[in-house]
Amino acid sequence: MISKPWREGLVYIVISAFLVWHTLALVVAPAPDTSVIAASLRRVLHPYLTLLKLDNKWDFYAPNAGRGHQLRYVVEDADGIRHSFRPTDDLSRIYPSEWWFRSLYDWIADSPGIYGDAGVAMLCRKHAALRPVAVVLTDLEQKNFWPDDQLNGKHPLDPEFVTEKDLGRIACPEK
Amino acid sequence: MPGEVAVVRFGRACVCALGRTWSQFWFQPRPTTPLEIARIGIGMAVLVHYGLATPYLFDFWGDNGWLPRALALETIDDPWTQSLFFYFTAPWQWIAFHGVFLLCCAAFMLGWRTPWVKWIVLVGHVSFAQRNPMLTYGVDKILASLLLILCLAPVGRALSLDRVRAVRAAKRIDLAATLPPFSSPWTGACTRLMQIQMAVLFLCSAVEKLRGDDWWYGDAVWFIFTNDELHTPFLLNILASQYWLVNVATYLTLLIELAYPFLIWQRATRPYVLTGAIFLHLMFATLMRMPYFSTVMIMGHMSFVRPEWLARLGQAWKDKIGEMEMIYDGRCAFCVRSMALLLAFDGLGQVKIRDFRTDPSPVVSDTQLEKALYLVRPDGRALPGFEAYRHVALRVPGLWWQIPFFYVPVLSRLLGHPIYDWIAANRSRLSAMGMGSPRPSLK
Repeated sequence: MISKPWREGLVYIVISAFLVWHTLALVVAPAPDTSVIAASLRRVLHPYLTLLKLDNKWDFYAPNAGRGHQLRYVVEDADGIRHSFRPTDDLSRIYPSEWWFRSLYDWIADSPGIYGDAGVAMLCRKHAALRPVAVVLTDLEQKNFWPDDQLNGKHPLDPEFVTEKDLGRIACPEK
Repeated sequence: MPGEVAVVRFGRACVCALGRTWSQFWFQPRPTTPLEIARIGIGMAVLVHYGLATPYLFDFWGDNGWLPRALALETIDDPWTQSLFFYFTAPWQWIAFHGVFLLCCAAFMLGWRTPWVKWIVLVGHVSFAQRNPMLTYGVDKILASLLLILCLAPVGRALSLDRVRAVRAAKRIDLAATLPPFSSPWTGACTRLMQIQMAVLFLCSAVEKLRGDDWWYGDAVWFIFTNDELHTPFLLNILASQYWLVNVATYLTLLIELAYPFLIWQRATRPYVLTGAIFLHLMFATLMRMPYFSTVMIMGHMSFVRPEWLARLGQAWKDKIGEMEMIYDGRCAFCVRSMALLLAFDGLGQVKIRDFRTDPSPVVSDTQLEKALYLVRPDGRALPGFEAYRHVALRVPGLWWQIPFFYVPVLSRLLGHPIYDWIAANRSRLSAMGMGSPRPSLK
């Protein structure tokens, strides 16, 4: 039976150890991977950071603001007709769903080989009335758009300010 | 030998000093109030956010949505990335989980059964985030960290229905009873953890930004708003014609983020840095349409709010409103129970009470008090029954949730007066029906 002073001391030490552990986790999580010390500590902290979703870099719009991009797609129907869509145009800026769908489109645009099939399956379902056969994905990557361009009445997505990247044609899944 | 003794003594003194400093930094007894404000704001944000996600539950987190389970498991490849969604096998499980989760978010916001609902909110949020990382961004990451700290902290002890329940239980025995505000060293430690999280976040955010030319040259804000997701023609026109605003906004953002981790700790500079940080996030909420992110971040800043500021705010409110006295019938068990419930919401102690049976009022006669409860205002005027409750509901912050019932034009008074009059006329019967506790022993 541990006496009360010893018990209190033990609790104090355990709690203090946890505080050190968690503080270390908060500091190590965003540390650069190139640091040998951070990398070693991260190996130890990895289960704790990952399980509780604490492994974060805090690099909001950093190091650069990013130029943005816009996913577009063309639905090919059974008659060979092509229907063009700009999915972000349909999003309402009032609802949080805008952010979710933009994020989905960004991931598909960044890694069409991984997320394209599932994304196209959803788009085929969405446009089922068109009897889609395949979807062609395109990504418009924005270039620098300067104040003079804005004052001259241009838009950041005008052809001269974007690079069009073909992400491929993906067939709709068979029903 | 004397040298060795001196070294040992010195070593012991150092350890003691370190221990004292450690205790002073981490284990200062603190009330939970700043963390409770964070709890309420975060609970509300999470409830609204995931509530609005309900129509997309299966599209975003289901097995055959934008990220099918098989693909998610393939891309994750880390056994520590866990989500309850990976273990669901039937659609009703998604719906049941989502329903329970939303209820717990509401309970967390209101502070109802807080000790266990907070863990469900944390597990739920992490499960959503881990199941579909395509949807997560900065807010989900900071939320996970803040929720963990709130789970570890003894929240629910103030500004909560749990507190109302505890105070009501005490006042049902003795209406004059008071429950002291909860304060503990562990609350101090959890508050520190949240403060450290916010400071680390701002420091890392600033350092990462300084690595980029956009921020160094003062152009970052311009490029943020030319981005398709934030493109606003009206705002761009203003910024393009007054480009100095872009530079100011860019460097001000950097200044606030760099100053925060260093100056937020000082007594003299904390109010200004806190104001700057909250202003920054209000700008994000309005100009960048990120109310969810901004709300969560502002709630994180609440960890730096000093309890004495809140106490001063409470006192200023009490001084502005003035003292109110409610006169009730101490022989009526139903009345006593009603008073206990009302006083349980009066966290600032604005309402004094008087039992006219034992302590007659100099302002209102016993004959009047036989018919209705009365409220004596600071100016000496007395309001009966429904009007008394109506007056108090607007002036006691804990009762503001009742304002929609008491202040609907015409309707509130049209219905409120007859309902109150009926209750007052039948209070003896209501007491006898068991809708009241035995007469308390008043001190």
